[in-house]
Amino acid sequence: MATVDKNTRTLPGLVHSPNLPVVLTIAAVIVGFAAMLPLVQSSGATSRAGQVQQLQDEKNGMQARLRELELEVAGLGSLARIESEAKTRLQMELPKETHYIAVDAAPPEDDKLPSRYLPTQRPESPDDSSLADDLFGWLVP
Amino acid sequence: MSKKDRGVTWRLWVVVAVMGFGVLVVTGRLAQLQILDHGQYRQQARLMHMSEETLFDRRGALLDRNGYPLAASEDTFDVLVEHRAWEDPDRAASASQELSTITAVPPEQMVQEVSASEIFEVSVARNLKYEQAVAVKDLGLRGVRLVKSSHRVYPEGNVAAQLLGFVGRDNVGLTGLEADLDATLGGSTGTLQFERDGLGNRFALAASNLTAPVPGANVVLTIDRYIQRLAEQELERTIGENKATGGTIVVVHPATGEVLAMASRPTFDITKLDLTDESKIALYRNRAVTDMYEPGSVFKLVTTAAGLDTGVVGPNTWWYDSGALTVSDWTIRNWDLSANGSSSVQQMLSRSLNTGAAWVAGQVGEDAFYRYVDSFGFGKPTGIGLTGDSPGRVRTPQNDPDNWRPVDMATNSFGQGISVTPLQMVMAVAAIANDGMGMKPKLVKEIAYPGGTQAVPSEPTGQIISPLSAQTLQQMMGVVADGYSTAYLNVKGYNVGGKTGTASLTEGNGYKKDAYISSFVGIAPLENPQLAVLVKIDEPKDLPWGTVVAAPAFSRLVQQALAYLEVPPQDAALVSAP
Repeated sequence: MATVDKNTRTLPGLVHSPNLPVVLTIAAVIVGFAAMLPLVQSSGATSRAGQVQQLQDEKNGMQARLRELELEVAGLGSLARIESEAKTRLQMELPKETHYIAVDAAPPEDDKLPSRYLPTQRPESPDDSSLADDLFGWLVP
Repeated sequence: MSKKDRGVTWRLWVVVAVMGFGVLVVTGRLAQLQILDHGQYRQQARLMHMSEETLFDRRGALLDRNGYPLAASEDTFDVLVEHRAWEDPDRAASASQELSTITAVPPEQMVQEVSASEIFEVSVARNLKYEQAVAVKDLGLRGVRLVKSSHRVYPEGNVAAQLLGFVGRDNVGLTGLEADLDATLGGSTGTLQFERDGLGNRFALAASNLTAPVPGANVVLTIDRYIQRLAEQELERTIGENKATGGTIVVVHPATGEVLAMASRPTFDITKLDLTDESKIALYRNRAVTDMYEPGSVFKLVTTAAGLDTGVVGPNTWWYDSGALTVSDWTIRNWDLSANGSSSVQQMLSRSLNTGAAWVAGQVGEDAFYRYVDSFGFGKPTGIGLTGDSPGRVRTPQNDPDNWRPVDMATNSFGQGISVTPLQMVMAVAAIANDGMGMKPKLVKEIAYPGGTQAVPSEPTGQIISPLSAQTLQQMMGVVADGYSTAYLNVKGYNVGGKTGTASLTEGNGYKKDAYISSFVGIAPLENPQLAVLVKIDEPKDLPWGTVVAAPAFSRLVQQALAYLEVPPQDAALVSAP
């Protein structure tokens, strides 16, 4: 019976407390923020996804441009263009006679090729030796 | 309860019943829309909001043996216009005008294409470069969007057109290697299903379903761009000088069977394709593998190989040439109607005597002769992997016992009454150059998949003649080549071997009047053959002789090709550097 009396006495005290508006305002703000949270999250995710898509588009575009440039390089290295440049710009002409000269020198290195068109090299297999193998190898070279 | 209360209750129940009925009707309709017809409306909504795009990854490139691209793809963009977006004529006119400044497609054409179509989106401009695509995007036109596509380009220009072939608008190979290697080059397409807004743009955060496309593999050919270009230049020059109607040059590396060059004329310009012109369809075929011809005297090499390998003759075996040889009531004569008396087999080859070739074939016997013809690859496809790989035509006692007669073997021995393709002929000579070991012609050196490279091994077809017989025949070919005037055949610094051929052009069941095929087939250098070359010129107008018409082209081509391949010349030809 004493507990009941205590409760009935406390409630009116809280209702009539001068802090009630502050408490309610804080509660409302918390609830408001809590309600905004999904919206903010959703908005952020949408914005980020938009940025990702934009970057993806940019990447695709740059890749397209890169491939255009690759082919431009290939076109610049074509035999027809090289011959044309040699004949017109450099005023060169085909030899009328062929002489074979033996020289005591190493042959030149192979020409550099447009590497993007070369066959993809198979990646080297990763080192799968264990720590014990490494240690053993270190101890017994 | 009073009378007034009963009246209110009754009217209330009526109102409740009407409202209840209304609720039932609405609920029923909702149930119909959302449950019964759910699938149909879902599909409609999906069509309005979702878009599906076919995705292509890069089609693989066709590379020459050193990695230079002969055909490759560049990324381009197509402009799609939503049909509904251009229903308003003013908007369509304005938008098309803006697009036209970038795409160079006439605005009227774009509007007409969109209005005439009933599909949701219409492609109004194709193969835009990257900068053009950016410019179109910057216009921000309603209902206009860009999709990625691909365009085939040929960095070396119009080289090996018939061999490479071309692709259609859908990126599928239609002719040549593009068609024959389509599964390898094309990869596989993917799809992207996505939700879009009213402008056709994709929602950033919405449902999408992506099946990624798989890029095609790069195919490294055995073709060498330098030798291919040389072959095409020499072919053009020889056809022009002799006012011929066409021709073929094939260059093969004997030890591996790798085809280094394969050129035919007439041809088409692969960089300026016009598929609407049906008269050009005949130009698309690769004549080196599809077209048959009577080889003429170059076939005497096969006859001699059979004779040497069976041991019935040697280079110095003598026989008597009376100028005529009678076989089954038919008389075989020499091309110049000469009678040469006692002659050796070497002289038979050097002077290209028909009677001698028929005599050697007779010594070999029909079974063995046709066995060698078959072993050298005649009468069956070469297996090079190109569409239209013709088997040629060889009539034998086995495959046509009713019509074959002994005179057929006599004429076959000097290359008449038998049809071969240029590729078959050069592969037979390549086998002689490869010490008698036949090789399957090879066009693909390796395939470069995104994850690794797969080398394509060379395939021997078998030891056709013994190495000793082959080496003897190589020396005999050298003697034959030495007998030609240096005005026509002169490869400075190298010994070469070869044989000319001049054959009548077949037409129907007979021969075309005054129409010949001049050819030269040779190997170089003789000591260690690196090249087997066939030059075949169709219908030269003046002199028809292979020596005059085809040998000079062989000579010039081999001279440059051997230097390019860094094949050392004979020591005698070397000059020491000071």
